[in-house]
Amino acid sequence: MDELTAFGFYPAGSLLHRLDARFKLVFLVSISIAGLRAEWLALVTLTVFAGIVLLVSRRSLFSILIEIRYFIVFLLLICFVRSISTQGTCLIKTMFFSITQEGIRDGILISWRLLLVVLFGMAFIATTRPSDIRAGVAWFLKPLPFIPHKKVATMIGLVVRFVPVIFNQARETANAQKARGIENRKNPVYRLVRLGLPLVRRTFENADKLALAMEARCYSENRSDPDLSSGVHDWFAAVVVFFLCVFTIVL
Amino acid sequence: MNSASQMHMMVYASLLAALTAAGAYLAIPIGPVPIVLQNLFIMLAGLLLGSRWAMASVGVYLLAGACGLPVFAGGTGGIGKFLGPTGGYLLGFLPAAFFIGMISERTGHRVVFDILAMIGGTLIIYIFGIAWLMVVTGMSLVKTLAVGMFPFLIGDGLKIAAAVPVARALRPVIKPKGREECVINQTK
Amino acid sequence: MNAIEVENLYHRFADGTVGIDGITLMIRKGDLVVLAGPNGSGKTTLLRHLNGLLLPDRGRVVVAGIPVSNNVAMARQKVGMVFQDADSQIVGETVHDDAAFGPENLCLGKVEINQRVQSALKKVGLLGLSNQRPHLLSGGEKRRLAIAGILTMEPEIVVFDEPFSSLDYPGVRQVLGEILALHHSGRTIILATHDLEKVIAHADRLIIMNRGKVVRDGLPADIVKDVEQFGVRAPCAIRTGGEFQSWMS
Repeated sequence: MDELTAFGFYPAGSLLHRLDARFKLVFLVSISIAGLRAEWLALVTLTVFAGIVLLVSRRSLFSILIEIRYFIVFLLLICFVRSISTQGTCLIKTMFFSITQEGIRDGILISWRLLLVVLFGMAFIATTRPSDIRAGVAWFLKPLPFIPHKKVATMIGLVVRFVPVIFNQARETANAQKARGIENRKNPVYRLVRLGLPLVRRTFENADKLALAMEARCYSENRSDPDLSSGVHDWFAAVVVFFLCVFTIVL
Repeated sequence: MNSASQMHMMVYASLLAALTAAGAYLAIPIGPVPIVLQNLFIMLAGLLLGSRWAMASVGVYLLAGACGLPVFAGGTGGIGKFLGPTGGYLLGFLPAAFFIGMISERTGHRVVFDILAMIGGTLIIYIFGIAWLMVVTGMSLVKTLAVGMFPFLIGDGLKIAAAVPVARALRPVIKPKGREECVINQTK
Repeated sequence: MNAIEVENLYHRFADGTVGIDGITLMIRKGDLVVLAGPNGSGKTTLLRHLNGLLLPDRGRVVVAGIPVSNNVAMARQKVGMVFQDADSQIVGETVHDDAAFGPENLCLGKVEINQRVQSALKKVGLLGLSNQRPHLLSGGEKRRLAIAGILTMEPEIVVFDEPFSSLDYPGVRQVLGEILALHHSGRTIILATHDLEKVIAHADRLIIMNRGKVVRDGLPADIVKDVEQFGVRAPCAIRTGGEFQSWMS
């Protein structure tokens, strides 16, 4: 968590890395939405596709599994809840609940879909520079009224920049308090305040310094547009993704 | 508002969004369900930044997650998270922060109203969260409430109780300020 | 030719305390000036007047012939500032992005920005870490990144506020090396510190501040013996009667 590896952009020169961030965002959204409606055959196809994508993105299977271990637990939970809360042919019956065949089937289906969405999301992050993601999002916000897209892009950049700093601070604060025996205090409100207050205060002090430093570096809302360029390979990929989505929904 | 204080608010809003993101992973280990700090920061965004900037803060947080940055609980973000089972809660953060900010602004930051605002905000989060959870999992309302609301209510109460003193201690630090005042903080 | 002219500058904070109490100062182009004084003597406040982060109550500050109050944006481009806390000066989410922040604000074209970022990162020796996330850098590297971040704006004057605080020995040497390189490339350097030891051997001029005033101003060798009466520890060489030793050798 310290490293928050999922923030991890893995620099490399693969085809996926070279695709335009805007295209990849559209791909991710459309595959995610289509994927949530996928049935079995489509799921298999998407899984094969996800496998290829992850292979190209050069992430090791092991590191991916480590990263999503909690999510997998969560999926198992959904599977379970689903399997006991669906009407149908009874497989196992205990005193409190009964597991149905339909329930297991639905549970697996839902979990598989969610897992795929997450895997595609990870492939996207691994192959896209954070500043490009930011630029891509800003580009999509451009036509929307009332939303200052460059400001939003700067703000997202600051979030990414400060999450690890806040983690470090939280750990330091928590350790300093443990060293002074806070674990003997059982009142949760007291402990929430003791952890939350210094954390937010430190963060705001940082904010003051940061604002000053940004001013010193001539911050203005009118900044250079980020550099995004698309090429033939983006459109080619778009065609592939389009057919994949149609295929997923139709099947 | 001059541009310097505009920028201050922008930085505050960004950093509260970062706190919210970090809060998804920060928990106080008490009792069987650890208390996750995330919605504490959503409430603080409302109380400290006011309706407009609180919404900006939460909006930026959600947007960062939508782009695939792992700022949501569970580590893995992405647009799919909104379509996943917990998507409703996430979306509910937005009106909740706005609501808390609005009530708190209009009632002059009085403690009673701050608490009411946070209770209202929490309800808003659950309305969105439960409704979507029902749609995704196809469970009945009672079951959904049992899974998606009741286990967390105590924690929410504790967080509301904690947010009050935190907000009171920090409001003087961040009230919209011009250049002069912030420099005093700097040189101290 | 003066890089900076400060004329009769006063600054009072909102709570009534006096930050700067009448300072007049000319700084020659190309000098390395050390500004010494205890905490609260007004060093930081003075520095912030140089690039318009603060504007004078009375008096004026002129950078490269133009009053700062008339053109704050220009002053900020001409006077690059490296803050005491490098951690909160870093804005970008990668080393490259951070270095690009300044020129992006100047609305330069992408090609120009990349060129400047590359050359600035090369100068401070961080080119290999372009894609690194800033919080993973060491203390010395962070401060060098902060320097790169202002070099990309091509300032003529570079201002350092306590550049050596909380650095280890290699960190100090790295940062000092960058400062000297900037100086040799013809830039004017103003460096505020209460820790003379590390930099005094390279200073062209020493200014001692106390309670918002300039109390001594001259060649380091001439006035450094007076620093202790104003709450700054004199360098070892003075105490032992030897020569100033460079930390670089």
